[in-house]
Parts: sequence; C-alpha cells; structure tokens
Amino acid sequence: MVEILVYGAVTSAIYAMLAVGFTLIFGVARVLNLSHGTFYALGAYFTFTYNGLFKIPLLPAALLAIATVAAFGVLMERFLVRPLRHSALAVLMITLAVSLLIEQVLFLIFGSEYQNVQSFVSAKVVIAGVDLGGQRLLTLGVGTALIAGLWLFIQRTRLGSAILAVSQDPTAAQYMGINTNRVFSIVMAISAALAATAGVLVAPFLTVQPGMGLVPMIKAFSIVILGGLGSIPGSLLAAVVLGYSETLVGYLISSSYTELVSLVAILLALILRPAGLFGKLVAF
Amino acid sequence: MPRLGRWGIVTLALAVLGTAPYWVTSSYLLGVLILCNLYAVFASSWDFMSGQTGRENFGHALFVGAGAYTAAFLNVRFGLSPWWSLPAGGLVAVLFGLGIGLPTLRLRGPYFALATLAAATIMQRLTVIFWEQTGGEEGLSGLTPLLRSPAASYYLSLGFMLAVAAILVALASSRWGLLLRSIRGDEAAAQAAGVNTTLHKIGALLVSAFFAGVGGAFYAHYQLQVGPTLFSVVVSITVIIMSYVGGIGSVYGAVGGAFLLTLMTELLRGVGQYRLLFYTLVLMAILFFLPRGFIAPLVQRLRAGGSPS
Repeated sequence: MVEILVYGAVTSAIYAMLAVGFTLIFGVARVLNLSHGTFYALGAYFTFTYNGLFKIPLLPAALLAIATVAAFGVLMERFLVRPLRHSALAVLMITLAVSLLIEQVLFLIFGSEYQNVQSFVSAKVVIAGVDLGGQRLLTLGVGTALIAGLWLFIQRTRLGSAILAVSQDPTAAQYMGINTNRVFSIVMAISAALAATAGVLVAPFLTVQPGMGLVPMIKAFSIVILGGLGSIPGSLLAAVVLGYSETLVGYLISSSYTELVSLVAILLALILRPAGLFGKLVAF
Repeated sequence: MPRLGRWGIVTLALAVLGTAPYWVTSSYLLGVLILCNLYAVFASSWDFMSGQTGRENFGHALFVGAGAYTAAFLNVRFGLSPWWSLPAGGLVAVLFGLGIGLPTLRLRGPYFALATLAAATIMQRLTVIFWEQTGGEEGLSGLTPLLRSPAASYYLSLGFMLAVAAILVALASSRWGLLLRSIRGDEAAAQAAGVNTTLHKIGALLVSAFFAGVGGAFYAHYQLQVGPTLFSVVVSITVIIMSYVGGIGSVYGAVGGAFLLTLMTELLRGVGQYRLLFYTLVLMAILFFLPRGFIAPLVQRLRAGGSPS
C-alpha cells in the first residue's frame, strides 16, 4: 500500500517535470517540441559524461548537465526552430529531426549498451517495512519543489507575468513592450532544464541508453492531451492521474499493461473531452 | 533542358524500370529495387493523406507494421496462402486507421500528429511485451514468399507500385483531391463552403492506411520475417523524409524520393551504417533550403523544358 502510494507519486513527479515543460513551450510559443525526450536523455548522458568520464563530483556534474541541456534547448530554439516558426508542420519536422540526430550521435559516441549513473543518495528509506529507495524519494522531493518553484516564478515575478502575457496573445504582448523572442528563449531554457532534471534524477534507477527519451515523451504527450494542451494545472493533474493509473495497473494486473494506459488515456480524452481536463481546444 | 512532357517522363521511367531485370545482373541490386518499389508505396500513400490534407501523420509505421504482422499471423500461425495476406493486411490497417482517425481527425490542431506518433510507438512496445504471440524482439519468421523467382518478384512489386501510384495520382487529381487540398489550404473556409472536412480527412487516411497495409504485407512476404522495428519511428520518419525529398503533395514525387533515398543509402558504401544520420541531415537541409522538395520541381522543369512551370 505504502509502496503503491510512493511509487505512484514518484512516477507522477517524473511525468509532471516532463509534461509541464512540454506544455509550457507549446502554450507560450505554440511550438510542439518533438525533441522534448532528447532533453531528458541528454540530461542523463551529460551527467554520465561529466561524472563518470571527467570525474566531476556528482552534484556539480548534475547541475552542469542541466545547464548544458538548457543551453542546448535555447540554441536549438534560436537557430533551428525560430526560422521555421511560420509553419507548424516544419516545426514538428525539425524537432523530430533533432531528436533522431541526437539519438544517432549518442549511439555513435556511447554505443547502444546501458550506462550506469551513480545514485545521489544510497541510503535505504524503510517505511512500514518497505524499502522505498532514497533516490526515488529524492526524485519526488526535487520534482515537487521545482514545479512549486516554477509556479511561484510564473505567478509572482515580472518575467513570469511576461510569459503569461505572451501565452495569451503574443502580438498584444509585443505591443506592450515585451520582447517575445527573449521570452521564447527563457521558456525553452526552463522547459529543457525541467526535462533534463527528470533525466538526471531517473538515471540511477532506470536504464540510460540512446533511445531512452522516446517513451517518456509519448507519456508526456498523453498527459498534455489529457490535461489540455497549454494548461499547466491540467498537466499536473493529468500527470498524477497517469502516474497512479500506471502504478495501479502494474500492481493489480501486470506490468506489461502499463504501456497501454497512456494510449487508452489519449484515446479516451480525445473521444470524451478533447479539450482536456482544464484546457481550451487549440487549432493551428 | 529538353522538353519531355508528362508522358515522355512516364515512358522513360517505365522503360528503365520495366527492363531492369535484363540489365541489373546482381540479385542483390534487384532486391534493392524491390525495396525501392515497396518504399515508394509507403511514401506515396503517406503523401496522399498528409500531403493533400496537410494533416501530418507521424506514425505511418503503424499501418505498415499492422499489415506485415497480419501477413505473418495468417501465413505462419494459420498457414493461409500468402496471397490472402495482401487484402487482409490492407483491411487490418484500415481498422487501425479508423481507430486513430475517428477520435483525432474531427479536431483541428496537433492531436492527429501526436496520436499517430504515440500509437505506433506503443504498438512497437506491445509487440515486445506480448512476445508469446508476436515473437518479441525477434519477431516472426518463416513466411512463404509470394513468388519464388527474383525477376517475377520484382515485376510483381513494380506492378503493385505502379498500380498504387496510378490510383493515388488519379485520386489526387480528381475532384476529391481538390477537396482534400482545400482542407490543407483553409479548413474553416472549406467547412464554410459546406465540405464535411472530417469525413474527407478520415476517408483519405483510410485510403492511405489501406495501401500502406497491403505494402506492409508485401514487405513481410518479401523479407520472409517481421519484427517490432516495423512499427518504429525510424520507419515513419523515413517515409516522411522520402515524401519531403520528392516534394510534399505531389504523390509521384514521393515515389521518386523513395527511389532516390533507398538507392543512395544501399549503394553508397559506408552510408548504410549511418543511414538514419544521413536521412535526418537530408531532412534538415530540405526544411531550410528546399521547402518544395527536390523531385517534383525537377519533374516540372523537365515537363516544361527549362523554365519552371
């Protein structure tokens, strides 16, 4: 019971970190970023490179990895996505191309074998006779703190208001003197950093290999569709719903069926409530 | 450039392809040409739906894989003649198309693109998870070939590809094709003019899924095995890149793109290993420098003789 509660919460936190970034860049810049899973994989691989190969201590290595991925996201947005923003299809294509390209590059450098990343906390945490694993609890804690921080940042700061303004009406925001391109860069950095953090945190207990980002990104899609494209509260709620549904299905039926949960979620959401839990229908 | 006219180009292409078994002596090369024909079917069927209506399908592998696995089940598990696989593969792919198209295509926006990508990826995972039925990572093998002789197989694949291309070009240049392109141009305006856009988008998807499914079944009987990678993003994106190289929305361009890319990656030494890397770089170059593609503009120049039409 405790196991289901905690594991469900950990899965939800990972999904939330991925989905919030994905929905944020869509809500603000109308960019559907199909390379979002790449940020997650790159977070894990840069931590592995800095810590495992360059022998930088784990915590600075992880922070450096997250910063590197954020910088990568900003450069990608600036030089590959922005010139093609006039066409939604071209944006989808270029981001998918970037994700395949990075996957191939990772494959050429590291090969397809699994890499090991050290745990941040090796302590066992035993509650009610069940070992929950310190790394999982750390993931839950960091994920919750980051999302709460992002929420405060958007609601309480001037820059946060600018992000909200651009998400509501980019043209009007520009007339009010907001530099929309700068807002896009900042949002891309936040989005990439959140996904990379998720990758860094799960690296010690999941497999690190070049294609690791694809399935989590598919989960992020289903969460974002379920929650409503562009809605952060919707994504959070949907992340919890999907995280717990998968954990429950895994415990009650079989872990084989957890993969089906997200597909069923997408189809049900699109049939019953296409706008998602909290969203508005988007068209472009 | 010489002025060839439409039928000049068609005659030239048919003459080259029709005599291939006489001047292509290695059976390996003939096999590459069969692959070209099958990829041409996948790419042109993708282009028919996504190029005409502008609704981008990121999971065409779903239909290819559905057709191929249907063929493998019927042939290996139930011992049916391989000829049953072709219609059955097409029909199963149509069912998958209905499952994806009905909930997503009535909406505007990115839902269709996301759902197709998700569905194909999840199918790939499911074929691995339910390995007792599907053979897991190894897939199913031991399919019987449609025809034994390499030359006969080649002509069958060529005839199949030409028939599919002819049907799709005819549909695209019909009144229905015009309707579909009106959805790409401005869906709201098409709706305002009384077009049931959802119905037509789903119809186009079903046509596209059917030919991809038949092609997938053909592919399974040519490779004599099926595996989970048939559902992979790599297959979907390869097909999309072929259409992009050909010039989106032209259907025949996709056929040319499939030949060009398949031949290049199979024949250039050293490229094979880095095929996917090469494909993604081609796609990025096309997005930035040749948004109209490569084959279709070239064909238009040849038709008109020098000046682009």
